Amino acid sequence: MSTSIVEVVNVAREVSWLPWAVQYFFLIGLSVGCFLLTMPWFALRRPAWERASRLALLGALACGLTAPVALLADLHQPGRFLNFYLHPNFGSWMAWGAFFIPLYLGGLALYTWLILRPDLKRLADAGGRWAGVYRAFAYGGHDSLGAIRIAAVLALTGAALVALYTGMEVMVVHARPLWDTPLLPVQFFITAVAGAIGLVLVLDRAIGDGHAAQGAHLLRLLAATQILVLAVGAAWLLLGVTGLSPTHANALAQVAPSSAWQITAVWAAGSAMVTLWLAVRHPAWRLAAGLIALHSAWMMRWTVFIGGQEIPKTGAGYYHDYHLPLGQDGMLGILGTAGLWIAVLIILISVLPWAGQRRVQA
Amino acid sequence: MSDDTLFQSRRAFLRALPAITAGAALPLNSASAAEGKHHWAMLVDVRKCIGCQACTVSCIMENAVPVNSFRTIVSTYAVTQEVDGHTQVGTYVLPRLCNHCDNPPCVPVCPVGATFKRDDGIVVVDGDRCVGCAYCVQACPYDARFINHDTNKADKCTFCAHRVDAGLLPACVETCVGGARIFGDLNDPKGELRRRLDAAKRTEPNAVKVLKPESGTHPNVFYIGLDPRFQGRVEGQAALWRPSEHGG
Ligand code: SF4
Ligand code: SF4
Ligand code: SF4
Repeated sequence: MSTSIVEVVNVAREVSWLPWAVQYFFLIGLSVGCFLLTMPWFALRRPAWERASRLALLGALACGLTAPVALLADLHQPGRFLNFYLHPNFGSWMAWGAFFIPLYLGGLALYTWLILRPDLKRLADAGGRWAGVYRAFAYGGHDSLGAIRIAAVLALTGAALVALYTGMEVMVVHARPLWDTPLLPVQFFITAVAGAIGLVLVLDRAIGDGHAAQGAHLLRLLAATQILVLAVGAAWLLLGVTGLSPTHANALAQVAPSSAWQITAVWAAGSAMVTLWLAVRHPAWRLAAGLIALHSAWMMRWTVFIGGQEIPKTGAGYYHDYHLPLGQDGMLGILGTAGLWIAVLIILISVLPWAGQRRVQA
Repeated sequence: MSDDTLFQSRRAFLRALPAITAGAALPLNSASAAEGKHHWAMLVDVRKCIGCQACTVSCIMENAVPVNSFRTIVSTYAVTQEVDGHTQVGTYVLPRLCNHCDNPPCVPVCPVGATFKRDDGIVVVDGDRCVGCAYCVQACPYDARFINHDTNKADKCTFCAHRVDAGLLPACVETCVGGARIFGDLNDPKGELRRRLDAAKRTEPNAVKVLKPESGTHPNVFYIGLDPRFQGRVEGQAALWRPSEHGG
């Protein structure tokens, strides 16, 4: 008995986690990834990493300061965000997020301050209009590796919790088989680290001296992330195809029939392979490798969030009605966060002695 | 004498009128009188639904549901199938609404505890607390929730809790043209809901079904005449007509 079913009338549920959410997960992931890249120099004092770590610190701060704005904007009632603290429901990963984000950002701020104190003092000593302000912030200007390391542990705890909650929050949504896979948090994390390396490479070209990758094994690390991306992707597919993991099989069954999803998968795998190839074979093209890694991290989140919400939970087929709106819930949101990110970065570059001795001497 | 009889029967008829107009409210009133706490539920007899969408419209009117959003809708499918070498074409209609699950995935995810299950089983959103994060929208396996663009809060069917609390029936039940929607108290064995459920189960143990039983949500919206092909995510061609593509 063959049956064909055509849905004639049904409701199309709108995407309710908006492009703002994509921006949030992208930015907070980049921030966490960048923070990890700051540690080899600032906490472990590996000299080869100084350039990369200093650029990564800028990246961690710029992304970390912009991300909560995108998150607030994704709330349909942003004015009520205090309810997260007045009425937390700790059974919800999202509720924990409201505490993990400030923990991470507070740790990052403390870490940054302890790192920059000596340089702030040098800036103050050099005189100028803002000398007083810098002196106040330098607060004596002591350089204490021990204190930096304690702050690093605090920020690292926050970063780990942020990475955990952002992954779990999405993974626990059983109603969306595409999200409900144990590999999702891993995929978020690896692509975030890859994107962070990409960001450092881009910053290196834009505001650094182009040598951040030298000796810092940045490209090797980038290659490693891409191998992981491909390996986890293959594991995901294998678990789904063989039916070894029912959750992965469910996820695969939802997207496999769609040509748009097939193209997306090929695109993602292709991007990872190109990044890998550039990182290993063409170090001179590291800017391109960095840009592609950044794009992959963003695309992955866009696909998971926006694409995932395009799959009806009860209805037939796909919603396919998500056209990026031009208003603040769509294009303007993406451009707005990008603009804010650039503004924050410019301010940080202008006011912070991020390059340490180099800039002060210059 | 015949006049008298006529008079009496007319009087009896007139006396009965309010009860007839309040019609469907009767089982509810008797349910209210039952001892103990309520456990509100709905039975949808798909065989009786004519797909008129009167329920959809009355819900919109009752609850001021914004354009292109729906708390309930009757999904309509064109089904073509081969039976004994003949091609049969038919329409299948399936009223959908919040299932007021006994194990509702929408509740634990809410970061601020704005959505909860009342003692009487109705799952509601506290509009004063909801931050509009839409986590509950993601977590509901039935696509029953949405963000209301007028209020910017999570919205969904409440079984018309405001009416139920006042002793009335949900608007969709009150309006149902085919008599397909029956509302009542699961804790009231004499109420119409339980009588219909029990009778259906007696004739055929599997007669009463819920949507996506495998998801462990334990819905309180029960269906009679639910075709298994429509019990989960429907395998078929996407909707030809979706409200959001029009108006708005
Ligand atoms: S149907 Fe959805 S919204 Fe309604 S109680 Fe169940 S999970 Fe919650
Ligand atoms: S949208 Fe409102 S009810 Fe739903 S999870 Fe968020 S705060 Fe809770
Ligand atoms: S009003 Fe009744 S008969 Fe008409 S579509 Fe709704 S459930 Fe079906």
